Amino acid sequence: MAMAFPRPRFHRIGILLVLLVVSTTVTPLEGGAAETPRRGGILLAVIGAEPPSLDPHQESTFANIQLVAPLYSTLLQFDPYAFPKIIGDVALDWKIAPDGKTYTFKIRSGIRFHDGSPLTAADVKASYDKIVFPPQGTRSTRKAAFSSVERIDAPDPVTVVFHLKFASASLLPNLASPWNVIFPKKYLDKDPNHFKMNVVGSGPFKFKTYTRGGMFEGERNPDYFVKDRPYLDGYRFFISTETSVRAAAIRSGRAYIEFRNLPAPEVEAIKKQLGDKIAVQETPVTAHWGISVNNTVKPFNDVRVRKALTMAIDRYTASRVLYPLTGLKHIGGLIRPGSADWALPQAELEKLPGFWRDAEKSRMEARRLLAEAGYPNGMKVVLKNRNIRLPYQDWAVFVIQEWRKIGVEAEHRPLETAAWFADGQNTGNFELIISPPVEYMDDPDVWLGRYTTGSTQNWGRFSDPRLDDLFSRQARTLDPAERKKLTDELQRIALENAYYMPGLWWTRNLVHWAKVKNYVAPPNYYSNQKLQDVWLAED
Amino acid sequence: MSVYPLEHATASATLRRRLTAVEEVGKFIHAKPLGAAGAAVILAMLIVAFLARALAPYDPYTGDYELQFARPSLDHWLGTDEFGRDVLSRIMYGARIALFVGFTASVAGCSLGALLGVLSAYWGGRVDLLLERVMDILLSFPQLILALAIASILGPAVQNVVIAIAIPIVPRVARVVRAAAMSVKENVYVEAVRALGASRPRVVLQHIVPNVFAPYLIMLTAQLGSAILAEASLSYLGLGTAEPTPSWGLMLSGSAASYAEKAPWIAIFPGIAISLGVFGFNLFGDSLRDALDPKLRRG
Repeated sequence: MAMAFPRPRFHRIGILLVLLVVSTTVTPLEGGAAETPRRGGILLAVIGAEPPSLDPHQESTFANIQLVAPLYSTLLQFDPYAFPKIIGDVALDWKIAPDGKTYTFKIRSGIRFHDGSPLTAADVKASYDKIVFPPQGTRSTRKAAFSSVERIDAPDPVTVVFHLKFASASLLPNLASPWNVIFPKKYLDKDPNHFKMNVVGSGPFKFKTYTRGGMFEGERNPDYFVKDRPYLDGYRFFISTETSVRAAAIRSGRAYIEFRNLPAPEVEAIKKQLGDKIAVQETPVTAHWGISVNNTVKPFNDVRVRKALTMAIDRYTASRVLYPLTGLKHIGGLIRPGSADWALPQAELEKLPGFWRDAEKSRMEARRLLAEAGYPNGMKVVLKNRNIRLPYQDWAVFVIQEWRKIGVEAEHRPLETAAWFADGQNTGNFELIISPPVEYMDDPDVWLGRYTTGSTQNWGRFSDPRLDDLFSRQARTLDPAERKKLTDELQRIALENAYYMPGLWWTRNLVHWAKVKNYVAPPNYYSNQKLQDVWLAED
Repeated sequence: MSVYPLEHATASATLRRRLTAVEEVGKFIHAKPLGAAGAAVILAMLIVAFLARALAPYDPYTGDYELQFARPSLDHWLGTDEFGRDVLSRIMYGARIALFVGFTASVAGCSLGALLGVLSAYWGGRVDLLLERVMDILLSFPQLILALAIASILGPAVQNVVIAIAIPIVPRVARVVRAAAMSVKENVYVEAVRALGASRPRVVLQHIVPNVFAPYLIMLTAQLGSAILAEASLSYLGLGTAEPTPSWGLMLSGSAASYAEKAPWIAIFPGIAISLGVFGFNLFGDSLRDALDPKLRRG
């Protein structure tokens, strides 16, 4: 059993609130728990993008995790029925030393990878070494969340020990991240990038086929370590970036589920056509759509220009206009406004650039700042984006209209997912780029690491020692009130300097055929994607 | 020796009066009413495109957020879209993109094709062999598929759309013009100017190019409609112009499909504009071909 760890009070309240929100917004699954699961069938789904690679450690797009999550196991996981409760996956149980600096995990024995080799503590260590201490030439997207980890040991085949430099309030949720999958060590030893193009997991499904731009298939793993799971014979996911194509796939029954979101008018049309054959789960999402500003290029290294651009965006009107179209709804800072533990209070937010209630006054100030920066007649900018309409392009259209009001003409350049990541994350080949921080839970380590120097998620490539210091201090602070103070201050500095321009926080409509049972939508679209408990009431 | 006075045969004819421009237009309308209708559509498109700023009732980029999905009304004749932007104004400005891409891609593609066709025909030998094999490769792809491939490599931008549409036009025009140029090249007057020592560029530019101008013009008008349709298709597929640029194909894509049931006018009117524009160019192109083709003219 997991040893009780003195969790911060704020954390508990947060968990309760999330549970409350989920329980009140999720459409009850019709008799999901009461019905006897049916075995067999192929789950058909439609996915909205093509992944740049298949390695979840290196990627941060739903297009990756939704395709490959059913193929892998993780050390811990969020309870599929009760997010964000943490339960074991390959970890049977764990204990935490009284000083909070040593975490010891016992690994289930008898787990086998799909190539037949046993999963041992050495594989867990190798996988986490790759994440926490990525070798040269390998990207680790979530390295910053493990700043507390000093080293990882595997003293025997069923024991993994995480030694920390300092006690961390967020290590366990980070270990439950759906992205931190366990790879077989023997392949990582040969090539740490092996899993960008290959899949060998120990999850409920085995890899079957992948046609780029077309389809991804997995088949039931008969040797899965959870008894009698999975229920499905397999899954077949089609890929289409076009929202209307995905909606049509659901309407026609070519797909039974769209894991991410469909716009309200499409959902209404589907419900109208298919009636009670369709179920919709509306949830908040730990995701917001904002704009990364390349702080290393002129004129965006000038705080006045950055502030002008963010102040031109009327987020209150954006919420009213975009919510019915896209689900973009909530106005908040750098941590989800629904997250009572960590969100910046609304009153403080409204004092910061871009969040003033008086939009016209904000635009006047934006024009003044531009003039002061040497652009009295406005300027031309290039706004790069991902070629996915919902909500990337709708958000961009709104922003471009807003910037026109202060004389900023933006050329909009949508890119394929891989090119968008390459320009935004890898090379910094952009002036401004739509970039959504999307995570799987509300936690400052997860959300604020991207504002520190050198983070792979710091697309804007800014460096402010104050942010680095505050992030480091909050990660070491167990007192939730003190930690909140530090994270509020970090958010204030980042927003005041407009290092990044947050947009709106998302809500989503998860649409699926009612015959898809046992899928409870969490407030993100990354976790609960293993599908081991999902079953089909009919084919 | 007797002398016979020479008798010169004489004949006289009254030259037909040269028609005025108005009379020429009247004659064209009378002879080719469908072509005239096509020309009228093209003319209307040109006027709307050039005077969009003056004619459009609203800024095509700025939405009225209080009027999302407004039905067609006296204020907004063709309704508004999901951002409250006036559909009529966006169609008017969209004509600019359609005509700009249509004309530039067709002129660029046809001109390059004609040049390569003439060079291929005149030089012959290895130059002809090499150019024709390149054309074979390009012709082995359907026109739109090739444009799609090029556009996806170059990325979505107006200038890239022009390039993507122009390249597939090149081999089609090159083939037609090459055939015409080979025929012209064998004419005695070309032999004569070569015998007189005219340089190759002079032979090509002064004696061959003017004589292949008719097929060039026919191909140009024929490709104009296709180019407009290709621009709409690329934009529809997300490879052409990007939002919020008003483009007919773009107006039909994505959001129009999502909101087709709620606000059908978002899709219907841009669709009509595309059909009308392409129809106009095709009608005009057909008539022009009839007018310039000697065989059809005799008939």
